[in-house]
Amino acid sequence: MEKKLKTALDAAFAAPPPERKAAFLRVHRRRELDPAELLLTQAGYVRWWTWAGSAALFAVILLLAAGQESGTVWTASALTPLLALIAVAEWGRSRRYGMEELELACRMPLRSALLARMAAVGLLHFALLGLAAPILSLWGGGEMLQVGIYLLTPYLLTAAVGMELSRRVRGQEGLLACAAAAALVCAVGIWTRETAFDLYRTESASFRWAALALALAASAFEFVKTIKETEELRWN
Amino acid sequence: MALDIEEQYDKIYRYCFFRLRDRHRAEDVTQETFLRWLASDTYRDTGQTLQYLYTVARNLCADEGRRPTAEPLPEDLPAEGGDPLVSIALRSELDRLSPEDRELVLLRVVNEVPVGVLCRLYGVSRFALYRRLRGILKRLRERLEG
Repeated sequence: MEKKLKTALDAAFAAPPPERKAAFLRVHRRRELDPAELLLTQAGYVRWWTWAGSAALFAVILLLAAGQESGTVWTASALTPLLALIAVAEWGRSRRYGMEELELACRMPLRSALLARMAAVGLLHFALLGLAAPILSLWGGGEMLQVGIYLLTPYLLTAAVGMELSRRVRGQEGLLACAAAAALVCAVGIWTRETAFDLYRTESASFRWAALALALAASAFEFVKTIKETEELRWN
Repeated sequence: MALDIEEQYDKIYRYCFFRLRDRHRAEDVTQETFLRWLASDTYRDTGQTLQYLYTVARNLCADEGRRPTAEPLPEDLPAEGGDPLVSIALRSELDRLSPEDRELVLLRVVNEVPVGVLCRLYGVSRFALYRRLRGILKRLRERLEG
């Protein structure tokens, strides 16, 4: 819209200044949580063993990789689905224990709480994977970017499948289904290493990028779906 | 949704003022709107805050408007710059609009309420809203240029 019309309309709808605004806002202003505060508050509700489990698994990945002469990266790559399983188990906690309705009635909307918890756990895992990539690159001799793809693809794939399964299968069975999916992704990683179809060869670079893009798209899609479903629940 | 409460206070007040034509009652309604919003945790951080504020303000203005104490538009409205002739021409054209169309111009153009919020507020589709607004603005623009 032209600036001239907007300015003219602003002038036409000008109102006399409010007289009691400052006094009202001084008394009634309530402080909103900023995203960082929300993240920190909700991170406090993440169970301790999620943090401990993630750190322990990270240590195991490094130890196993350190003990091998070759194949450092693929060992780590085969274990990252377990990291994703820990995350999915945390994200689906409300649903698994049938706590959604109670959480919906809390002051902090479930969608915000879920988003913050997903971000807290996800950020930790990305930080761990980001830390692992240069270490494994140093030990295994591969390029850091390549190692990053090896670590990220199975993680994202498991997270996507896990989010889908935890929405479809309720209760403890949902967690079991996610564990089965994580085991399957681990097995596929090991199987591709053991067969002639070696994902880790330099010639498979385009395939690896495609797999990463697919896993990224799938996890983004599942993430949005999970959040949207939580939003729909609010009005039920 | 992070809400700039100071900015929204002014906008809701402006909306109430043009519904009620009385600064004191407009400010009362504005404050009542915000008090209800502050008391309602349900709508906080739901992304529907603006819709909530305007719905409450509109309903309160309707209630307030039924009381027989409405005063005429005061003459000493603050001038916000611009050509006074243009302003007069535009105001006369605005007076010719229906109250609903005038309200739509105020909300969308002056208060910059997002189209999605307006669609939910009026219960119309985006297409219908855009078409209506385009027609109104075309008339205003012609008047402004003519």
